[in-house]
Amino acid sequence: MSLENGDHKVTQPILASLTRPQPATARLVPVKTFLGEMPLALLVLAMLLGLVTLFSGDSFTLNTLATALLFAGLSSAWNIIGGFGGQFSLAHSVFFAVGAYTTANLYLRAGVSPWLGLIPAAALAALVACVLSWPVFRLRGPFFAIATMAFTEVALALGNYMEWATGGTRGMSIPFRPGLANMIFRDRFSYALLMLGFAALCLMVVIAIKRSRLGYYLQAVRDNEQAARAAGIDVLRVKLKGMAISAALTGIGGGLFLMQVRVADPSALLSLFDFGVKFALIALIGGLGTIYGPLLGALLVIPLESWLRAELGGLMPGANLIALSVCLILASLFMKQGIVGASGRLAILAGRRWRR
Amino acid sequence: MTEPLQTQPLLSVRGLSKRFGGLVAVNDVSFDVQQGDLVSIIGPNGAGKTTLFNLLTGQLAPSAGHVLFEGKGIGTLSPDRRARLGLGRTFQISQPLVSLSVIENAMVGAFLHHPGLAAAARRADEVLHLVGLSDRAGVRAGTLTLSERRRLEVARALATDPRIVLLDEVMAGLNPTEVVEIADLVERLNREGYTFLVIEHNLKVVRRFSRRVIVIERGAKLAEGSADDVLRDPRVVEAYIGRKRA
Ligand SMILES: Nc1ncnc2c1ncn2[C@@H]1O[C@H](COP(=O)(O)OP(=O)(O)O)[C@@H](O)[C@H]1O
Ligand SMILES: [Mg+2]
Repeated sequence: MSLENGDHKVTQPILASLTRPQPATARLVPVKTFLGEMPLALLVLAMLLGLVTLFSGDSFTLNTLATALLFAGLSSAWNIIGGFGGQFSLAHSVFFAVGAYTTANLYLRAGVSPWLGLIPAAALAALVACVLSWPVFRLRGPFFAIATMAFTEVALALGNYMEWATGGTRGMSIPFRPGLANMIFRDRFSYALLMLGFAALCLMVVIAIKRSRLGYYLQAVRDNEQAARAAGIDVLRVKLKGMAISAALTGIGGGLFLMQVRVADPSALLSLFDFGVKFALIALIGGLGTIYGPLLGALLVIPLESWLRAELGGLMPGANLIALSVCLILASLFMKQGIVGASGRLAILAGRRWRR
Repeated sequence: MTEPLQTQPLLSVRGLSKRFGGLVAVNDVSFDVQQGDLVSIIGPNGAGKTTLFNLLTGQLAPSAGHVLFEGKGIGTLSPDRRARLGLGRTFQISQPLVSLSVIENAMVGAFLHHPGLAAAARRADEVLHLVGLSDRAGVRAGTLTLSERRRLEVARALATDPRIVLLDEVMAGLNPTEVVEIADLVERLNREGYTFLVIEHNLKVVRRFSRRVIVIERGAKLAEGSADDVLRDPRVVEAYIGRKRA
């Protein structure tokens, strides 16, 4: 055996095979860029615009679509830290409420247009998110989820107590003064467009992150913190960055939501099931850590839920919750990667069929 | 490598110890690694070699002693700070980022000094080529074979452009052809200027590297010297072979 005599020359042929340049076709680097994602992303957004336009005369459907698009954006935002980063936050309804109250207070007290108010709303939500998650980011898996869930409960108590900012348990309402600058519209179509714009913003941010160093670092942290550290990744910093961006978008969503419904109290905004958990569930059902999963999840879950509420709500209160739970159970049983993963596998199977 | 004696060592280990409760896993170990070296660490299973690596790269905090990198104490720095200074490592139990593709795994390393996506992808492509994983670039890391996982560990470490690379039994469990390929790779990279500190069980490989060998037994340094001298040392033969048979 050549190893015994320690002669370098004996193994030169193998060395040569390692250094031999490869044929040009094999040198294509299989890494997608932001621009490479754009054709599909723009196609999806164009289809959504088509859908909204198609139903522009049907205010019930438009309402449902607007809500679905809002949740598409919110779940996409959650997916940045929850999906890519693997940090299963249940505190996102807190950032949602911070954004909602910041926008509303600036508008009501200082006359700041909600369009501008969304900027401090995003910033404050990001700040609150970083301050809250910094101490609990050393917790792993379910412990992190439970700790963040506790934040929601604390925030609810605080929200009820801080009447000056939230209107307390009576809630807060925004007078109906239509106008573009006020972000208040008479027609449902404008709200659907507004939420489509929000979903588009979130989708673009998600793609930009996924196709950047931060996106890969978040995924590395999710897969294996020890390996991530050995690659020079400051794990806490990466988690905080992902959380800040995720919360900023969630805060914007909160502002948009409050301007759309124009009335809210802390127990509605901080409801775990209506917001905090739902962001995560939709992402899970659609495909955790995928680009389009949250969007698909929202477009499935929200219409289904609103249909069930309309059909069964009177007969069976909570039927929509049961339906959502069934969706989740089915997704976790049969689709490890949600709808996106399952349709990917189906496409592969279909491709095999077709080739045969 | 004919370096002047005064050269500051790249890595200095001084009186390093680690206790786990009553067990002294690493006991007062000292040695130096010079720029351009290829130093092997050998010793029976459970001797404390991996623990020593964990002390060097910051996964564990030492109970006593110092680690100096280019003359500066790094004993209290976090693993990621040490990686950014230039300490690259592989893990004995390979740690692929399973949801990422092979090239994306290498990119996670490459991003350290190449923040842009295109530049990181190019650097990752280079190291995959280096370790012979180019044709697996698009495959999910979770589906690799043992030998491929080991190469991926090396690739991710190399992609960070380290000043010294710590390899923890990267050849264990591989077939003889694969062992030769990885040994060749390490030797070639060493000739190109990479500094290596290698934990290795395969004595043939260690002898071929033919540089300095450090023997660790029961946490303590038993011997240090050229491969031929150390592997002929009766104490080493007894400790190493004797324990291995047991
Ligand atoms: N985290 C730990 N806690 C307690 N004991 C440990 C730990 N890590 C290693 N050990 C013990 O330290 C000794 C040295 O282990 P290790 O460094 O893995 O040896 P080697 O890599 O030389 O085979 C072993 O007895 C092992 O059981
Ligand atoms: Mg070991």
